[in-house]
Amino acid sequence: MILFRGRRVLASLLLCILLLTTACATKPPSRFDQVQQESTKQKTGQAVAKNATQGSKLNKFFPEGDDGYDRVYTQEKKGFSEANLKKDGKVVAQLAISDTTSTPTVASKYSNSTKEIDGYPAVELGKTQTSILVGKYQVKVISKDPLFNASDREDWIEKFDLDGLEKLK
Amino acid sequence: MSKPIFELVDELPTSGLTVSMLNALDFIVPGEWQNTVGFVNTIKTVTGEDDEDLIQQIGERAIYLFNDKSQGYQTALWLYQTVDSADYALGAAALANKVGDTIPLLGFLNNLTPKPDKAQTIDLSLKVVAELVAFCQINGIPGDSIGDFVSALGEYSGESIIRMAALISVDGLIPLGPDFIEKSLSMISNMNPGELEGNSTFRTMQDAIPGDNTGGKLDFIGNSLDGVKGWMNGMIAANALTAEKVLNHLSGFLEFTDDKLDYVAAFIDVSTNYYEHTGTQTLAKRLIERAIAEI
Repeated sequence: MILFRGRRVLASLLLCILLLTTACATKPPSRFDQVQQESTKQKTGQAVAKNATQGSKLNKFFPEGDDGYDRVYTQEKKGFSEANLKKDGKVVAQLAISDTTSTPTVASKYSNSTKEIDGYPAVELGKTQTSILVGKYQVKVISKDPLFNASDREDWIEKFDLDGLEKLK
Repeated sequence: MSKPIFELVDELPTSGLTVSMLNALDFIVPGEWQNTVGFVNTIKTVTGEDDEDLIQQIGERAIYLFNDKSQGYQTALWLYQTVDSADYALGAAALANKVGDTIPLLGFLNNLTPKPDKAQTIDLSLKVVAELVAFCQINGIPGDSIGDFVSALGEYSGESIIRMAALISVDGLIPLGPDFIEKSLSMISNMNPGELEGNSTFRTMQDAIPGDNTGGKLDFIGNSLDGVKGWMNGMIAANALTAEKVLNHLSGFLEFTDDKLDYVAAFIDVSTNYYEHTGTQTLAKRLIERAIAEI
Protein backbone atom coordinates (compact mmCIF):
# COMPACT_ATOMS: atom_id res chain seq x y z
CA MET A 1 0.00 0.00 0.00
CA ILE A 2 2.80 2.37 0.98
CA LEU A 3 4.58 1.37 -2.15
CA PHE A 4 1.43 2.08 -4.18
CA ARG A 5 1.05 5.52 -2.59
CA GLY A 6 4.69 6.23 -3.16
CA ARG A 7 4.24 5.47 -6.83
CA ARG A 8 1.22 7.72 -6.99
CA VAL A 9 3.10 10.57 -5.36
CA LEU A 10 5.98 10.02 -7.71
CA ALA A 11 3.64 9.98 -10.69
CA SER A 12 1.96 13.24 -9.68
CA LEU A 13 5.32 14.78 -9.00
CA LEU A 14 6.56 13.81 -12.43
CA LEU A 15 3.39 15.11 -14.00
CA CYS A 16 3.82 18.45 -12.23
CA ILE A 17 7.41 18.70 -13.38
CA LEU A 18 6.34 17.86 -16.91
CA LEU A 19 3.58 20.48 -16.89
CA LEU A 20 5.80 23.11 -15.34
CA THR A 21 8.69 22.60 -17.68
CA THR A 22 6.58 22.49 -20.80
CA ALA A 23 4.53 25.51 -19.73
CA CYS A 24 7.63 27.53 -18.99
CA ALA A 25 9.61 26.31 -21.95
CA THR A 26 10.22 29.33 -24.12
CA LYS A 27 12.31 29.44 -27.23
CA PRO A 28 16.01 29.68 -26.46
CA PRO A 29 17.36 33.14 -27.31
CA SER A 30 18.90 33.36 -30.75
CA ARG A 31 22.24 34.94 -31.60
CA PHE A 32 20.27 37.05 -34.09
CA ASP A 33 17.58 38.40 -31.71
CA GLN A 34 19.35 41.69 -31.12
CA VAL A 35 19.90 42.51 -34.78
CA GLN A 36 16.31 41.50 -35.49
CA GLN A 37 15.14 44.11 -32.98
CA GLU A 38 17.47 46.82 -34.23
CA SER A 39 16.63 46.24 -37.85
CA THR A 40 12.86 46.41 -37.39
CA LYS A 41 12.81 49.81 -35.71
CA GLN A 42 12.07 51.44 -39.04
CA LYS A 43 10.16 49.81 -41.86
CA THR A 44 12.35 50.97 -44.71
CA GLY A 45 15.65 52.64 -45.37
CA GLN A 46 17.66 51.06 -42.58
CA ALA A 47 19.61 48.57 -44.71
CA VAL A 48 20.36 50.60 -47.80
CA ALA A 49 21.22 54.31 -47.79
CA LYS A 50 18.87 56.62 -49.68
CA ASN A 51 21.66 58.08 -51.79
CA ALA A 52 23.26 54.73 -52.64
CA THR A 53 24.06 54.24 -56.34
CA GLN A 54 21.54 52.22 -58.35
CA GLY A 55 22.73 48.72 -59.23
CA SER A 56 22.06 49.33 -62.92
CA LYS A 57 24.78 52.00 -62.92
CA LEU A 58 27.30 49.54 -61.50
CA ASN A 59 26.84 46.83 -64.12
CA LYS A 60 29.02 48.42 -66.77
CA PHE A 61 32.12 48.17 -64.57
CA PHE A 62 31.96 44.36 -64.38
CA PRO A 63 34.41 42.33 -66.45
CA GLU A 64 33.16 40.57 -69.56
CA GLY A 65 33.19 36.80 -69.59
CA ASP A 66 36.14 35.33 -71.54
CA ASP A 67 38.39 32.28 -71.84
CA GLY A 68 35.55 29.84 -71.32
CA TYR A 69 34.04 31.92 -68.51
CA ASP A 70 30.48 33.25 -68.73
CA ARG A 71 29.32 36.24 -66.74
CA VAL A 72 25.63 36.14 -65.79
CA TYR A 73 24.10 39.03 -63.84
CA THR A 74 22.02 37.86 -60.87
CA GLN A 75 21.00 40.68 -58.54
CA GLU A 76 20.72 44.36 -59.30
CA LYS A 77 19.50 46.38 -56.36
CA LYS A 78 20.02 49.86 -55.04
CA GLY A 79 23.63 50.03 -53.84
CA PHE A 80 24.46 46.58 -55.11
CA SER A 81 25.02 44.51 -58.21
CA GLU A 82 26.14 40.92 -58.55
CA ALA A 83 26.97 38.43 -61.28
CA ASN A 84 27.82 34.77 -61.37
CA LEU A 85 30.99 33.66 -63.08
CA LYS A 86 30.38 30.32 -64.74
CA LYS A 87 32.64 27.78 -66.33
CA ASP A 88 31.24 24.75 -68.16
CA GLY A 89 27.79 25.67 -66.83
CA LYS A 90 28.94 25.64 -63.21
CA VAL A 91 29.13 28.72 -60.97
CA VAL A 92 32.77 29.03 -59.90
CA ALA A 93 32.65 32.52 -58.38
CA GLN A 94 30.51 35.54 -57.69
CA LEU A 95 31.48 39.06 -58.67
CA ALA A 96 29.95 41.99 -56.81
CA ILE A 97 30.10 45.75 -56.44
CA SER A 98 28.48 47.37 -53.43
CA ASP A 99 28.13 50.99 -52.35
CA THR A 100 29.56 51.23 -48.83
CA THR A 101 27.46 54.31 -48.03
CA SER A 102 24.96 51.85 -46.51
CA THR A 103 27.61 49.96 -44.56
CA PRO A 104 30.12 52.48 -43.15
CA THR A 105 32.04 49.91 -41.09
CA VAL A 106 32.92 48.06 -44.28
CA ALA A 107 34.97 50.95 -45.64
CA SER A 108 36.85 51.26 -42.36
CA LYS A 109 38.17 47.69 -42.53
CA TYR A 110 40.42 48.82 -45.40
CA SER A 111 42.22 51.44 -43.30
CA ASN A 112 44.40 48.72 -41.74
CA SER A 113 44.95 46.89 -44.97
CA THR A 114 48.58 46.16 -45.92
CA LYS A 115 47.76 44.57 -49.25
CA GLU A 116 46.98 46.28 -52.53
CA ILE A 117 45.51 45.13 -55.82
CA ASP A 118 46.00 47.52 -58.73
CA GLY A 119 46.81 50.24 -56.22
CA TYR A 120 43.59 49.83 -54.24
CA PRO A 121 43.56 48.64 -50.61
CA ALA A 122 42.67 44.95 -50.50
CA VAL A 123 41.34 42.57 -47.85
CA GLU A 124 41.02 38.80 -47.77
CA LEU A 125 38.15 37.58 -45.63
CA GLY A 126 37.39 34.00 -44.62
CA LYS A 127 38.27 31.25 -47.04
CA THR A 128 36.37 32.52 -50.05
CA GLN A 129 36.54 36.28 -50.35
CA THR A 130 38.90 38.90 -51.73
CA SER A 131 37.84 42.52 -52.03
CA ILE A 132 39.15 46.01 -52.65
CA LEU A 133 37.86 49.49 -51.91
CA VAL A 134 37.52 51.78 -54.91
CA GLY A 135 36.34 55.18 -53.72
CA LYS A 136 33.13 54.42 -51.89
CA TYR A 137 32.62 51.11 -53.68
CA GLN A 138 33.65 47.67 -52.55
CA VAL A 139 34.54 45.25 -55.33
CA LYS A 140 34.44 41.64 -54.19
CA VAL A 141 35.11 38.26 -55.75
CA ILE A 142 33.81 35.22 -53.87
CA SER A 143 34.89 31.66 -54.65
CA LYS A 144 32.05 29.18 -55.08
CA ASP A 145 34.32 26.36 -56.15
CA PRO A 146 37.44 25.33 -54.17
CA LEU A 147 39.46 25.23 -57.40
CA PHE A 148 38.83 28.95 -57.88
CA ASN A 149 41.51 30.20 -55.46
CA ALA A 150 42.75 33.50 -54.03
CA SER A 151 45.00 34.13 -57.01
CA ASP A 152 42.05 33.63 -59.41
CA ARG A 153 40.07 36.08 -57.30
CA GLU A 154 42.81 38.71 -57.62
CA ASP A 155 42.97 38.17 -61.38
CA TRP A 156 39.26 38.74 -61.72
CA ILE A 157 39.25 41.81 -59.47
CA GLU A 158 41.81 43.35 -61.85
CA LYS A 159 39.47 42.71 -64.76
CA PHE A 160 36.82 45.11 -63.41
CA ASP A 161 36.90 48.63 -64.86
CA LEU A 162 38.33 49.99 -61.62
CA ASP A 163 39.39 53.39 -62.97
CA GLY A 164 35.93 53.94 -64.37
CA LEU A 165 34.31 52.92 -61.09
CA GLU A 166 36.55 55.29 -59.13
CA LYS A 167 35.20 58.19 -61.17
CA LEU A 168 31.56 57.22 -60.50
CA LYS A 169 30.04 59.43 -57.84
CA MET B 1 5.23 41.68 -39.75
CA SER B 2 5.79 38.01 -40.24
CA LYS B 3 8.31 35.99 -38.30
CA PRO B 4 12.00 36.86 -38.42
CA ILE B 5 13.66 35.39 -41.50
CA PHE B 6 16.12 33.38 -39.39
CA GLU B 7 13.23 31.73 -37.55
CA LEU B 8 11.42 30.87 -40.78
CA VAL B 9 14.55 29.20 -42.14
CA ASP B 10 15.22 27.48 -38.80
CA GLU B 11 11.69 26.08 -38.81
CA LEU B 12 11.75 24.57 -42.30
CA PRO B 13 10.93 20.88 -41.88
CA THR B 14 13.37 18.09 -42.68
CA SER B 15 10.62 15.53 -43.29
CA GLY B 16 6.94 15.34 -44.12
CA LEU B 17 4.91 15.21 -47.27
CA THR B 18 6.37 18.33 -48.92
CA VAL B 19 9.92 17.11 -48.49
CA SER B 20 9.01 13.55 -49.59
CA MET B 21 7.30 14.89 -52.69
CA LEU B 22 10.20 17.13 -53.70
CA ASN B 23 12.63 14.27 -53.19
CA ALA B 24 10.43 12.05 -55.33
CA LEU B 25 10.56 14.66 -58.13
CA ASP B 26 14.36 14.66 -58.10
CA PHE B 27 14.31 12.46 -61.21
CA ILE B 28 13.31 15.51 -63.29
CA VAL B 29 16.31 17.59 -62.17
CA PRO B 30 18.71 15.03 -60.67
CA GLY B 31 20.77 16.15 -57.71
CA GLU B 32 19.69 19.80 -57.99
CA TRP B 33 17.86 20.11 -54.70
CA GLN B 34 19.12 19.42 -51.21
CA ASN B 35 16.78 20.28 -48.40
CA THR B 36 19.01 22.82 -46.69
CA VAL B 37 17.36 24.02 -43.48
CA GLY B 38 18.43 26.19 -40.55
CA PHE B 39 19.64 29.77 -40.92
CA VAL B 40 23.23 29.25 -39.78
CA ASN B 41 23.44 25.99 -41.69
CA THR B 42 22.20 27.75 -44.83
CA ILE B 43 24.85 30.45 -44.42
CA LYS B 44 27.52 27.76 -44.12
CA THR B 45 26.20 25.83 -47.12
CA VAL B 46 25.77 28.86 -49.39
CA THR B 47 29.06 30.56 -48.53
CA GLY B 48 31.36 27.65 -47.69
CA GLU B 49 32.55 29.65 -44.66
CA ASP B 50 32.64 28.21 -41.14
CA ASP B 51 34.17 31.03 -39.08
CA GLU B 52 31.54 31.90 -36.44
CA ASP B 53 32.33 35.61 -36.41
CA LEU B 54 32.01 35.77 -40.20
CA ILE B 55 28.75 33.78 -40.10
CA GLN B 56 27.39 36.24 -37.54
CA GLN B 57 28.27 39.20 -39.77
CA ILE B 58 26.68 37.60 -42.83
CA GLY B 59 23.55 36.63 -40.88
CA GLU B 60 23.17 40.12 -39.42
CA ARG B 61 23.49 41.82 -42.80
CA ALA B 62 20.99 39.37 -44.31
CA ILE B 63 18.50 40.13 -41.53
CA TYR B 64 18.93 43.87 -42.05
CA LEU B 65 18.32 43.46 -45.78
CA PHE B 66 15.23 41.32 -45.26
CA ASN B 67 13.70 43.69 -42.71
CA ASP B 68 14.08 46.71 -45.00
CA LYS B 69 10.75 46.65 -46.79
CA SER B 70 12.02 48.79 -49.65
CA GLN B 71 14.27 45.91 -50.73
CA GLY B 72 11.38 43.72 -51.84
CA TYR B 73 12.45 40.53 -50.09
CA GLN B 74 9.42 40.53 -47.81
CA THR B 75 7.04 40.93 -50.73
CA ALA B 76 8.67 37.96 -52.44
CA LEU B 77 8.29 35.76 -49.39
CA TRP B 78 4.68 36.85 -48.95
CA LEU B 79 3.96 35.88 -52.57
CA TYR B 80 5.47 32.41 -52.13
CA GLN B 81 3.37 31.96 -49.00
CA THR B 82 0.18 33.35 -50.51
CA VAL B 83 0.01 31.11 -53.58
CA ASP B 84 0.57 28.14 -51.34
CA SER B 85 -1.99 28.99 -48.70
CA ALA B 86 -4.39 26.09 -48.77
CA ASP B 87 -6.14 24.34 -45.95
CA TYR B 88 -3.45 22.15 -44.45
CA ALA B 89 -5.65 20.50 -41.82
CA LEU B 90 -6.29 17.46 -43.94
CA GLY B 91 -2.66 16.97 -44.82
CA ALA B 92 -1.65 17.42 -41.21
CA ALA B 93 -4.16 14.76 -40.19
CA ALA B 94 -2.82 12.45 -42.86
CA LEU B 95 0.70 12.96 -41.65
CA ALA B 96 0.05 12.71 -37.94
CA ASN B 97 0.39 8.94 -37.94
CA LYS B 98 2.07 8.39 -41.23
CA VAL B 99 5.38 10.20 -41.36
CA GLY B 100 7.88 8.06 -43.17
CA ASP B 101 5.17 5.63 -44.18
CA THR B 102 3.00 5.34 -47.25
CA ILE B 103 -0.25 7.31 -47.16
CA PRO B 104 -3.24 5.46 -48.56
CA LEU B 105 -5.29 8.04 -50.34
CA LEU B 106 -8.53 6.10 -50.37
CA GLY B 107 -9.24 6.88 -46.73
CA PHE B 108 -9.21 10.59 -47.43
CA LEU B 109 -11.44 10.71 -50.46
CA ASN B 110 -14.52 11.61 -48.43
CA ASN B 111 -12.84 14.77 -47.25
CA LEU B 112 -11.55 15.90 -50.61
CA THR B 113 -13.20 17.75 -53.42
CA PRO B 114 -11.13 18.07 -56.56
CA LYS B 115 -10.98 21.60 -57.90
CA PRO B 116 -12.70 22.25 -61.20
CA ASP B 117 -10.31 22.82 -64.12
CA LYS B 118 -10.91 26.54 -64.11
CA ALA B 119 -9.85 26.94 -60.47
CA GLN B 120 -6.88 24.67 -61.13
CA THR B 121 -5.87 26.81 -64.10
CA ILE B 122 -6.04 30.00 -62.07
CA ASP B 123 -4.00 28.32 -59.35
CA LEU B 124 -1.31 27.30 -61.83
CA SER B 125 -1.25 30.71 -63.51
CA LEU B 126 -1.03 32.59 -60.22
CA LYS B 127 1.91 30.44 -59.18
CA VAL B 128 3.68 31.35 -62.43
CA VAL B 129 2.94 35.05 -61.84
CA ALA B 130 4.06 34.83 -58.20
CA GLU B 131 7.32 33.25 -59.35
CA LEU B 132 7.86 36.02 -61.86
CA VAL B 133 7.04 38.89 -59.50
CA ALA B 134 9.02 37.34 -56.62
CA PHE B 135 11.97 36.83 -58.96
CA CYS B 136 11.84 40.49 -59.95
CA GLN B 137 11.52 41.62 -56.33
CA ILE B 138 14.45 39.50 -55.17
CA ASN B 139 16.75 40.30 -58.05
CA GLY B 140 15.82 43.91 -58.51
CA ILE B 141 14.46 44.01 -62.05
CA PRO B 142 11.20 45.80 -62.86
CA GLY B 143 8.15 43.79 -61.86
CA ASP B 144 6.77 43.36 -65.35
CA SER B 145 9.88 42.05 -67.10
CA ILE B 146 8.46 38.84 -68.50
CA GLY B 147 11.36 38.62 -70.99
CA ASP B 148 14.04 38.99 -68.30
CA PHE B 149 12.31 36.39 -66.20
CA VAL B 150 12.01 33.90 -69.03
CA SER B 151 15.70 34.19 -69.87
CA ALA B 152 16.53 33.82 -66.18
CA LEU B 153 14.57 30.57 -66.04
CA GLY B 154 17.41 29.04 -68.03
CA GLU B 155 19.68 29.86 -65.09
CA TYR B 156 17.40 28.33 -62.46
CA SER B 157 19.02 25.71 -60.25
CA GLY B 158 18.74 24.12 -56.80
CA GLU B 159 15.53 24.82 -54.92
CA SER B 160 14.24 27.11 -57.71
CA ILE B 161 14.40 24.44 -60.39
CA ILE B 162 12.77 21.77 -58.20
CA ARG B 163 9.97 24.28 -57.47
CA MET B 164 9.39 24.61 -61.21
CA ALA B 165 9.54 20.84 -61.65
CA ALA B 166 6.86 20.49 -58.97
CA LEU B 167 4.77 23.24 -60.54
CA ILE B 168 4.78 21.47 -63.90
CA SER B 169 4.11 18.08 -62.31
CA VAL B 170 1.59 18.54 -59.55
CA ASP B 171 -0.13 21.77 -60.62
CA GLY B 172 0.02 21.10 -64.35
CA LEU B 173 0.31 17.52 -65.56
CA ILE B 174 -1.55 15.68 -62.80
CA PRO B 175 -4.66 17.85 -62.50
CA LEU B 176 -4.89 19.19 -66.07
CA GLY B 177 -3.28 16.59 -68.31
CA PRO B 178 -0.51 16.58 -70.96
CA ASP B 179 -1.72 19.69 -72.80
CA PHE B 180 -2.10 21.72 -69.62
CA ILE B 181 -0.29 24.78 -70.93
CA GLU B 182 -2.42 25.18 -74.08
CA LYS B 183 -5.51 24.34 -72.09
CA SER B 184 -4.70 26.97 -69.46
CA LEU B 185 -3.84 29.60 -72.05
CA SER B 186 -7.12 29.15 -73.83
CA MET B 187 -9.05 29.15 -70.56
CA ILE B 188 -7.34 32.36 -69.39
CA SER B 189 -7.97 34.07 -72.72
CA ASN B 190 -11.67 33.23 -72.49
CA MET B 191 -11.98 34.25 -68.88
CA ASN B 192 -13.72 37.45 -67.89
CA PRO B 193 -12.37 39.66 -65.10
CA GLY B 194 -15.30 38.78 -62.85
CA GLU B 195 -14.32 35.12 -62.81
CA LEU B 196 -10.78 36.01 -61.81
CA GLU B 197 -12.07 38.26 -59.04
CA GLY B 198 -14.01 35.31 -57.68
CA ASN B 199 -10.74 33.55 -56.88
CA SER B 200 -9.61 34.17 -53.31
CA THR B 201 -5.88 33.80 -54.00
CA PHE B 202 -6.17 36.36 -56.77
CA ARG B 203 -8.00 38.76 -54.47
CA THR B 204 -5.23 38.43 -51.88
CA MET B 205 -2.33 38.98 -54.24
CA GLN B 206 -3.89 41.24 -56.89
CA ASP B 207 -2.03 44.37 -55.76
CA ALA B 208 1.27 42.66 -56.51
CA ILE B 209 0.24 41.76 -60.08
CA PRO B 210 1.09 44.36 -62.74
CA GLY B 211 -1.94 45.83 -64.53
CA ASP B 212 -4.22 48.83 -63.99
CA ASN B 213 -7.37 46.83 -63.38
CA THR B 214 -8.51 43.23 -63.27
CA GLY B 215 -8.63 43.11 -67.07
CA GLY B 216 -5.03 44.36 -67.29
CA LYS B 217 -3.94 41.87 -64.64
CA LEU B 218 -5.70 39.08 -66.52
CA ASP B 219 -3.72 40.05 -69.63
CA PHE B 220 -0.51 40.02 -67.62
CA ILE B 221 -1.32 36.55 -66.27
CA GLY B 222 -1.95 35.28 -69.80
CA ASN B 223 1.24 36.89 -71.12
CA SER B 224 3.28 35.40 -68.28
CA LEU B 225 1.94 31.93 -68.95
CA ASP B 226 2.56 32.38 -72.65
CA GLY B 227 6.11 33.57 -71.86
CA VAL B 228 7.03 30.44 -69.90
CA LYS B 229 5.28 28.09 -72.32
CA GLY B 230 8.38 27.30 -74.39
CA TRP B 231 10.58 26.74 -71.37
CA MET B 232 8.01 24.48 -69.69
CA ASN B 233 7.43 22.47 -72.85
CA GLY B 234 11.18 22.05 -73.13
CA MET B 235 11.39 20.64 -69.62
CA ILE B 236 8.49 18.29 -70.29
CA ALA B 237 10.01 17.09 -73.57
CA ALA B 238 13.53 16.67 -72.17
CA ASN B 239 12.22 14.34 -69.47
CA ALA B 240 9.34 12.83 -71.45
CA LEU B 241 7.17 13.88 -68.53
CA THR B 242 3.67 12.53 -68.19
CA ALA B 243 1.26 12.42 -65.30
CA GLU B 244 1.77 8.64 -65.14
CA LYS B 245 5.52 8.99 -64.88
CA VAL B 246 5.23 11.56 -62.09
CA LEU B 247 2.69 9.41 -60.25
CA ASN B 248 4.96 6.41 -60.49
CA HIS B 249 7.58 8.35 -58.61
CA LEU B 250 5.09 9.62 -56.04
CA SER B 251 3.75 6.13 -55.44
CA GLY B 252 6.68 5.49 -53.12
CA PHE B 253 4.81 7.28 -50.36
CA LEU B 254 1.31 7.83 -51.73
CA GLU B 255 -1.07 4.97 -52.50
CA PHE B 256 -3.88 5.54 -54.96
CA THR B 257 -5.69 4.05 -57.88
CA ASP B 258 -5.32 5.36 -61.40
CA ASP B 259 -8.86 6.65 -61.76
CA LYS B 260 -8.44 9.08 -58.89
CA LEU B 261 -5.98 11.53 -60.43
CA ASP B 262 -8.09 14.54 -59.54
CA TYR B 263 -8.07 13.43 -55.96
CA VAL B 264 -4.31 13.00 -55.94
CA ALA B 265 -4.00 16.59 -57.16
CA ALA B 266 -6.41 17.81 -54.51
CA PHE B 267 -4.64 15.83 -51.80
CA ILE B 268 -1.23 17.20 -52.76
CA ASP B 269 -2.71 20.68 -52.89
CA VAL B 270 -3.95 20.61 -49.31
CA SER B 271 -1.12 18.62 -47.82
CA THR B 272 2.04 20.20 -49.24
CA ASN B 273 3.45 23.72 -49.31
CA TYR B 274 6.29 23.24 -51.74
CA TYR B 275 6.11 26.82 -53.01
CA GLU B 276 6.54 28.34 -49.59
CA HIS B 277 9.15 25.77 -48.55
CA THR B 278 11.45 26.19 -51.54
CA GLY B 279 10.60 29.89 -51.85
CA THR B 280 11.90 30.50 -48.33
CA GLN B 281 15.06 28.62 -49.32
CA THR B 282 15.48 30.71 -52.49
CA LEU B 283 15.01 33.91 -50.58
CA ALA B 284 17.46 32.93 -47.82
CA LYS B 285 20.05 31.96 -50.39
CA ARG B 286 19.82 35.24 -52.30
CA LEU B 287 19.90 37.30 -49.10
CA ILE B 288 22.98 35.45 -47.91
CA GLU B 289 24.70 35.81 -51.29
CA ARG B 290 24.13 39.54 -51.19
CA ALA B 291 25.08 39.81 -47.52
CA ILE B 292 28.46 38.12 -47.94
CA ALA B 293 29.26 40.40 -50.87
CA GLU B 294 28.39 43.52 -48.87
CA ILE B 295 30.13 42.87 -45.55
